[in-house]
Amino acid sequence: MKLTIYKIVILLGAMLLFQTSCDDNFAEINTNPQVAINIDPGFQFSWVQLRTSGGRYENWRAGLIYSSMMNQHMAALCGYWNGDKYTFNGGYNSSLFDQAYREQVKDMQDLINTLEQGEVGDQTMLGMARIWRVVIFHRLTDLYGDVPYSEAGLGAIAGIDFPKYDTQAFIYADMLSELEAAIGQLGSGGFGSADLMFGGDVAKWKKFGNSLMLRLGMRLSEVDAGTAQTFVSKAIAGGIMTDNSDDAFLEHTNGPEGINRNGIGEVLDKANGFGDDCPRLSATLVNGLQASGDPRLDIFGIPAAGGHNGLPNGLDATTIQDNPTGTDINDFDRINPLLVTVSTPMMFMTSAEAQLLAAEAAVRGWTSGDAASLYNKGVTNAMKQWQHYDASLVIEDATIDAYLAANAFDAANGLEQIGWEYWLATFLNEYEAFANLRRSGFPALTPVNYPGNVTNGQIPKRLAYPSGESGRAPFEAAKSAQGLSNDFSTYMAVPVWWDVN
Amino acid sequence: MKKLSQLIIPLLFLASTAIGQKNISGIVNTSEGDPLIGVNIIEKGTSNGTITDLDGTFELTIGDDGVLVFSYSGYENQEIIVGNQTYLDVALIAGAYLDEVVVTALNIGRKKRALAYAVGELDGSSVATAKEVNIGNALAGKVAGVNVSNPATGAGGSSRIVIRGNSNISGNNQPLIVVDGVPINNDNLGSAGMWGGQDWGDGLSSVNADDVESMTVLKGNTAGALYGYRADNGVILITTKKGKKGEGISVELNSNFQSETIIDNYNFQQQYGHGLNGAKPTTEAEAFAQGLYSWGDALDGSSVIQFDGQSRPYSYAGDNLGRFYSSGSTFTNSLALSGAGENHNFRFSFTNLDNKGIVPNSDLDRKTFSTNTNITYGKFSAGITGSFMIEAVNNRPRLSDSPGNANYTAWSLPPSINIDDLLGDPNKPGSNADGTEFQFNDNVFVTNPWWAAHQFEGGNRKNRIFGNISLGYELIDGLSINGKVGIDRFTESRRTLTPYGTAFSTLGQLSESNRNVQEVNLEATINYVKDISESFGINLLVGGNQQKNSNDLLGGGGSNFNVPFLHTLRNLANQSISSGFSKFQVNSVFGQAEFSLNSALYLTVTGRQDWFSTLTDPNGAESKNSIFYPSVGLAYDLANGLELPAVVDFAKVRASWAQVGGSTDPYQLGLTYGIFGQGHLGQALGGVNNGSVPPIGLVPSSNTELELGFDVRLFKGRLHLDMAYYTRETTDGILSASISAASGYGSKTVNVGKITNKGVEAFIEIQPVRTSNFTWNIGLNFAQNTNNVESLLTPEDDGEEIRLEESRTRNAYIHLVEGLPFSQVMGFEYERDGSGNITLDENGLPVQGALRPFGTGVHPTTLGINNSFNFGDFGASFLIDIKRGAVIYNATNAYGYFRGLHEETLEGRETGIGVVEAANVEDYYQRIAFGISEEFIDNANFAKLREIIVSYNFPKSLIDKLPFASGSLSFAARNLLVLSSNTTNIDPESTYTTGNGQGLEMFGVPVTRNYGLNLQLKF
Repeated sequence: MKLTIYKIVILLGAMLLFQTSCDDNFAEINTNPQVAINIDPGFQFSWVQLRTSGGRYENWRAGLIYSSMMNQHMAALCGYWNGDKYTFNGGYNSSLFDQAYREQVKDMQDLINTLEQGEVGDQTMLGMARIWRVVIFHRLTDLYGDVPYSEAGLGAIAGIDFPKYDTQAFIYADMLSELEAAIGQLGSGGFGSADLMFGGDVAKWKKFGNSLMLRLGMRLSEVDAGTAQTFVSKAIAGGIMTDNSDDAFLEHTNGPEGINRNGIGEVLDKANGFGDDCPRLSATLVNGLQASGDPRLDIFGIPAAGGHNGLPNGLDATTIQDNPTGTDINDFDRINPLLVTVSTPMMFMTSAEAQLLAAEAAVRGWTSGDAASLYNKGVTNAMKQWQHYDASLVIEDATIDAYLAANAFDAANGLEQIGWEYWLATFLNEYEAFANLRRSGFPALTPVNYPGNVTNGQIPKRLAYPSGESGRAPFEAAKSAQGLSNDFSTYMAVPVWWDVN
Repeated sequence: MKKLSQLIIPLLFLASTAIGQKNISGIVNTSEGDPLIGVNIIEKGTSNGTITDLDGTFELTIGDDGVLVFSYSGYENQEIIVGNQTYLDVALIAGAYLDEVVVTALNIGRKKRALAYAVGELDGSSVATAKEVNIGNALAGKVAGVNVSNPATGAGGSSRIVIRGNSNISGNNQPLIVVDGVPINNDNLGSAGMWGGQDWGDGLSSVNADDVESMTVLKGNTAGALYGYRADNGVILITTKKGKKGEGISVELNSNFQSETIIDNYNFQQQYGHGLNGAKPTTEAEAFAQGLYSWGDALDGSSVIQFDGQSRPYSYAGDNLGRFYSSGSTFTNSLALSGAGENHNFRFSFTNLDNKGIVPNSDLDRKTFSTNTNITYGKFSAGITGSFMIEAVNNRPRLSDSPGNANYTAWSLPPSINIDDLLGDPNKPGSNADGTEFQFNDNVFVTNPWWAAHQFEGGNRKNRIFGNISLGYELIDGLSINGKVGIDRFTESRRTLTPYGTAFSTLGQLSESNRNVQEVNLEATINYVKDISESFGINLLVGGNQQKNSNDLLGGGGSNFNVPFLHTLRNLANQSISSGFSKFQVNSVFGQAEFSLNSALYLTVTGRQDWFSTLTDPNGAESKNSIFYPSVGLAYDLANGLELPAVVDFAKVRASWAQVGGSTDPYQLGLTYGIFGQGHLGQALGGVNNGSVPPIGLVPSSNTELELGFDVRLFKGRLHLDMAYYTRETTDGILSASISAASGYGSKTVNVGKITNKGVEAFIEIQPVRTSNFTWNIGLNFAQNTNNVESLLTPEDDGEEIRLEESRTRNAYIHLVEGLPFSQVMGFEYERDGSGNITLDENGLPVQGALRPFGTGVHPTTLGINNSFNFGDFGASFLIDIKRGAVIYNATNAYGYFRGLHEETLEGRETGIGVVEAANVEDYYQRIAFGISEEFIDNANFAKLREIIVSYNFPKSLIDKLPFASGSLSFAARNLLVLSSNTTNIDPESTYTTGNGQGLEMFGVPVTRNYGLNLQLKF
């Protein structure tokens, strides 16, 4: 028995004794075995590109429900497709803001910070990353106005929890100089195959960077023509996208996870289990395509039983019954499913847009280019870009030529023609279509005036910030700087800085 | 009182007169020779008894071999074998309850008189008779300072218990649960948020009420100081039943049945039907698009088309909730074997709980096997106690947002739509003929309620074992050494199905996961107890504890079933795996010294040092990963130390001070990257893993409390008053603070803020009537806690706010606001002009004003009033539970406005409102619905008749004829009546989460009223 007692004493004593080491191995215990401490910059760049293509959440809300409806590419009867009727849903409004900073900006800034340290990666990677940052931010500021920019995404890097809002003027100036500097950094090296867009092709990146500069420069045409001309000229001189092989888009696949899918497809791809059947091609789009004999009508829409027919914007289930062009939702064209599957590409910028913007620069006399030939090139590329979505979506050269012959460029109406074609070229790049529409005023859309709309029956001018920003000092400052009220539902009627028409 | 007893006692004599009986009389005095009035005298094993008269005398007729038990509150019980005596002179010894022992931290039994802090005590029967599926919810209203929220999440849901107010800005505010000396995991396994979800239950729900002997609530810091960081929010100590000495093996059978029905708070309008713009739909498409809106025409009985193309009378369709919700039931049967001898005691039990919920197709089944077995062998003692539990829950109801939430739709159908018309295929509720969801409106995310209830799946299986093995040895007289190994381990397997054919996910989604959660505690203590002299004693304890936790998860999931309705992982076109792992460790040493002087003055000091792995920098950088927690307490029994009037039985004053604190979750301290190995187009993906900004220089939080109190018993124990005042300050709270999304992160883990809780607790027991056959006890427990968030991110009180929760309507939030109590319900107010009139815009619609706090979502004032009566073999009690001082955001009403269901939306339907025409009156209300949350923030004060119990102990005369040793039958009802409430359409206790963000409601499971019977038999 004595022996047993001592054993017990020793046992219990030993249990106490471990305490002398108190925190041995604690650093190891507190190391998460499932994550990496460092990361290959390529992994992170691929990640950011994919997240910029976006998830279902913001593509559905800010992209489709608002942008595609407000710019009248599409129309819907369903009440929650608020953009069709300019009614207010705070969460839908803020969806891109809610997602982009956490899903895109955070890793973008982290990667740029890593590359700037210079221990991994190279200057070409840094240049590509800086160009991509502009891709992310110009969408945000175009849609929301003044937004956090210079201090954004620095929560972990610089401990900035509540970044200040920069003015859109500042953001544009900085983005343009960023593009200039970043294009200059492009040389040897780069992301290679980790660049999901161009597979690391530096020449294409240069064209893409210049084309973005062209887009951003032109965005200032109404508010600051001088700066606009400077950067538009600089971009064109640097070499912009010319062919469909230059088009900037990301391919998607159906799974294995949600992140791999096209966010628009995750809304509209019925064949793959996604169920929103609300949107139809708008009457504005279908009527316009029909009027000009545009072969894209068969690309964009699936004809309803009675032939191609666009749904007028601003109708609901009741008012449709008095609609002369059809009283049932199935009387109208669905969007061609081949364009909106979970594995279709997501377009960021196409050569068609670049050529059309170059044509506009020529019309404005900012460059010496031939507006008509640039326009023709732009339209031709815009007709052909749908092959990216599906190989079957071919428009023959002869058909294109016939269209161009029937709709020849007329310098007197050049801006309107370019605006119309740009609007068609940016079908399914709804953020961009909505932005250029506001800048250029083309196509001249007839707004709807639905009961309860928050824009006084005018085409909306922007989307509203997350109402959760309310009360936070940086937001309050931006709110008063832009003359916004307490009521978030009033924001959609307020133009952003560059939108002075 | 005496007259009553004089009346009743002879009746009893008549009733109990039988062969072999004799009369006995006598007198009962104090040890000083003063007669005691009203002493209870019971013939042991029977209900035969009497009480002493004004002069302390009594008379009674008893059996030949009768044994009399004398009991008197404040005095020790005495048993006397009568034998052939006919007159007894009995002296009762005072002060029995003063030596009553209560279980305290580390399962140490301590004399109540020595305690320098308040404790709450509950008998096991108080949670076992009127049962709740989660034992936590049965505590509501029963202990002063213990605030229990009943969430609207269904039977398998969690409870939320907060003691002395919320003191942590984020993370856990609920107490540590300790069963037989070893902590168990009480983590919530997931709850609903703004985007919906389910309550996946918590750890406390595994504790089987039928096994509980008693509960002790350690409310303050001093009481729990030996638990160090874990005592931050108080401690609930649960002691399970042990075998008791008796004749042979005792077999106890307890059978409980409860039936539950919904309390229908629904009071929406019944005058206008489905439609928009004041018009009836005229086509199927229109009716389908308007399936959720009640902005149609006045109900006139005419035939109007509905969502399915059928025309039905345009009239009130009746009670949809009654049609949808069924009555729930819970059967709980338990069988226990127990016994004890000189050197051992044992108890084995089995309990089966079978619950059918009110939401169709939801149920819960729980089987618990428990033991508590102890032996002593000379100076050596050993024990094993623990439970093994198997739980299966089917279809935990979805809450909050609409997808898959049957409650959402059941509550928001237009009055002209009959929910039975949504049933579709009766063999597959909620489906079309082809087996897919039978939609009734064009919003795919508002799920058919029958489809949601019957075709969705959201259930889990849990196997859990918790318990401990303890060894003890007494080295020399007074010096003992103890060791204990405790384990709590559970495996949870979970399955969540969005079935094939669901409108918002036509090809379906499935996820399955397996989680293992484990906590092991090794504890060793050395205890020395010595009376140094007659008047001076010491009690010393030193010990150490090592706590190791781990949590791992492996799951699979994905979307798009290839073969329709074959709901297996392998049938998914898109598959993904998920895995998770975390572990942490806390090492501790602690000690306690108690000094007593003249059995009147007690001084207790404790100290504990904790080392946390979670605060240790993974890269080896300097980090403050350790903290010391001291406490000191003083208790003085005035009645024992001073000359006090004779009516004072006992008067203890006490004061204590303690500092405890908290830690954080593992892996917070470094920026790390998650890798998505499957990648995209052959390229691996990886990104920042942290959703929260990694903190720099994080230290343990600190929580300091001063507690003063007294415990007075007067009039021979008929009045008991225990009051406590406390002031607690929590600083350096570890918080995941919501920051601007533009920072790239949703939140940041920081040491911030100061929160104070000050309050009083009163526990008053009064015994207005005490006779041999009738007693009436009133127990009042009152608590008033004043909580204040002093500072948040910066030390200054500069109006900073932190967001804890957001409503799905995206215009109401729960914030912490400097200068205001915890959990402020934030809403947008109406914009008003200088004279307070609501501003209207040019279209005549109200304008959204500023976002501001409307009040706390946590009730600061609680009052429980329990009345219990004992009348011979009958007992009855009722508990009234009152809470005041909180508000709740009523999202059900916001949707009621949006959809035209709310009664207030009737105004203006015929006349319009101002410039808003009658046909567009919905614009007016819809603007308010999701724009102006002020309209929907309700006062959440309530008074409820929480519990009624009527019980009957089978009398000996009956028992003698039956093969039982004893038995009782009880009727129990819970949530019988809402005595007062200020909320419309919802119950004031309708929050959908047990998290810190209290004060948001949205389409939860309706509150229920329960009735039941409890039969207890001992063999």
